[in-house]
Amino acid sequence: MPLPAFQLHRPRELAEAVALWAERGAAGKLLAGGTDLIPSLKQGLFAPDHLIDLGAIAGMTGISRAANGDWLIGAMTRIHELAEDPTLGREFPLLAAAAAQIASPVLRRMGTLGGNLCLDTRCLWYNQSYLWRQSCGFCLKKDGSVCHVAPGGRRCWAAFSADTAPALLALDAGVELAGPAGARWLPLADLYSGAGDHPLRLGRGEILSRVRLPAAAAGMRGSYQKFRIRNSIDYPLAALALALRREATGGVTARLALTALNPAPVLVAGLERCLAAALAADPPDLTAAVQLVNRAAKPLSTSTVPSDYRRDMVQLQARRALEACLA
Amino acid sequence: MTTAFTVNGQPRRLELDPATLLLEVLREHLRLTGTKCGCDDSSCGACTVLVNGQPALACTLLAAVCDGARITTIEGIAADGRLTALQRAFGRMGGAQCGFCTPGMVMAAKALLDDNPDPSDGEIQAALSGNICRCTGYVQILASVRAALAEAAGAAAAGAAQPDAAAAGGRRGFGPAPPRQATKPPAAHG
Repeated sequence: MPLPAFQLHRPRELAEAVALWAERGAAGKLLAGGTDLIPSLKQGLFAPDHLIDLGAIAGMTGISRAANGDWLIGAMTRIHELAEDPTLGREFPLLAAAAAQIASPVLRRMGTLGGNLCLDTRCLWYNQSYLWRQSCGFCLKKDGSVCHVAPGGRRCWAAFSADTAPALLALDAGVELAGPAGARWLPLADLYSGAGDHPLRLGRGEILSRVRLPAAAAGMRGSYQKFRIRNSIDYPLAALALALRREATGGVTARLALTALNPAPVLVAGLERCLAAALAADPPDLTAAVQLVNRAAKPLSTSTVPSDYRRDMVQLQARRALEACLA
Repeated sequence: MTTAFTVNGQPRRLELDPATLLLEVLREHLRLTGTKCGCDDSSCGACTVLVNGQPALACTLLAAVCDGARITTIEGIAADGRLTALQRAFGRMGGAQCGFCTPGMVMAAKALLDDNPDPSDGEIQAALSGNICRCTGYVQILASVRAALAEAAGAAAAGAAQPDAAAAGGRRGFGPAPPRQATKPPAAHG
C-alpha cells in the first residue's frame, strides 16, 4: 500500500527536532519506531506534510542511573531492550514483563518506549482501511461526526492500548518533555487527556525524551496480565499491571493500572487501603480489591471481543495479579 | 532524497521519494522479490529482513531511515552459492509449503540462531511468533529449525574432514527426511 506524500526530516539533535516540531507540528507527525504510525499512514488515518524522524538523534536511547539513584530510560530505547536488559529485569520485573509481551519479537526490535507511551488510541471503527471506514461510515475520531461505539455521544471512546504505560504508572514513573522553552518533568498520568480523539497532553513543540523510574520503586514485585486474541503480534484488549511490596512494618505498597479498556491508562485509586482490609482476613479476601479494579475499567465495543467478556477478563486478571504478588 | 545502504553486501545508492518503504526498494527497485509482501500492515512477518543483523519488517520501515545500514535479505544468506543449513532444512522437512511465509520464517530463524546457537524449543517458538503461516504448517517449520540445528551439531561433530556431510541427507522438495545416505549434495541454487 503506498504511503501519502510527505517531507521527511531527520534531525541529529533533539533541539533541532523540537524546533522543527514546533514549526511543523500542526501539519506533521513524529516518527519513532513506526510500528503503529506506518500502518496508520497506509490506512489514511493521517496525511502529514512533514514527518520528523527521531531515529537519527544521538543520545535518545539507553538505560542509565541518575545521581539520586533513579533510573532514566531514553524515549528511543527499543522495547526489546526493556524486555531483555538483565538489570532492568531484576529491579523492575513489571516493566520487563510488560515489554516482553508487546507485539512480536521483530516488532519489539523496531518499536520504542516513547512510541509506545505516545501510542494513538485504538478502535474497531478507526484502525481500518479507508475503504472499510468509508463503507461502514466514518467515525468522529477520523473523517466523520458520529461515534459508532456510543452513538449520540460527542465523545471518542477509542481505547488507549499501550502495554508499557500501565506498568510505568504502577511504578510511579515520570516523563520528560523537551520543548521550545526547555525540558519539564511530569508524572506519567498527566501525559494522558482521557479523550480518545486527542489522547496526549503535549504542548506545542514538545517531544517525550526520557522516562524516569524512581529508585523507591526498584525491587517491587510485579505482575503483568494481558488478554489478546493471539499471544503474539496483537495489541491488548484488556491488560493490567500491578507493582507491590510488603513493607517491613506489615503494610503494603501497591499500585495497579489498567490499559486497553479506557481512552487513557488508568491508575486505580484506593487500592492500598482496600488491600490493607483484605489482608486483615485469613485467608486474604480479595473480593473488594477486584471490585475496585472492575469499577475503574470502562470496556466498550471498541473491539471485536465483546465488552462484557473484557470486563470478566479484567476481574480475573486483578485476582491473578494480586495472588501472584501476595504469594 | 539520496539514501545509501548495503544490500547483501553490495553498496546501493538510491534517489528515493521519502515515502518509499524498504520493501518497495527491495522488490521494485532492486528486483529482490524473495522478500514478500504479506499483510502490508506489520502483522505477518513475511517481509522480515535483517537490518544491521536485527530482524525488521521491510513493509514498516521507510527506506530513508535505513540510510547507512547493512541490509540482508533471503537472497543474501547463502554462502558461495550454497544454501544455508536452515534453508536446506526448510526444503527437506516440508517447512516450506506454499512458500510465501518462508523467506520471513527463515530470516526470523536466522536472527535467532545468529544470536543463540543452541535455542530451546520454547525459544524457537517465541522467535517465530511474529511470523504467520497461512498453510498453518507450524509443526514442520519448527521441525525445520530443529533439523538445521541438528545438522549444524552433526557437522561440528564430523569435523573439518567431511565438510559436506551436513548436506548428505538433503534433497529438494517436500516431505520428511529420507534416511541419510552418502550421496552427493544437491545442486546448489540461488
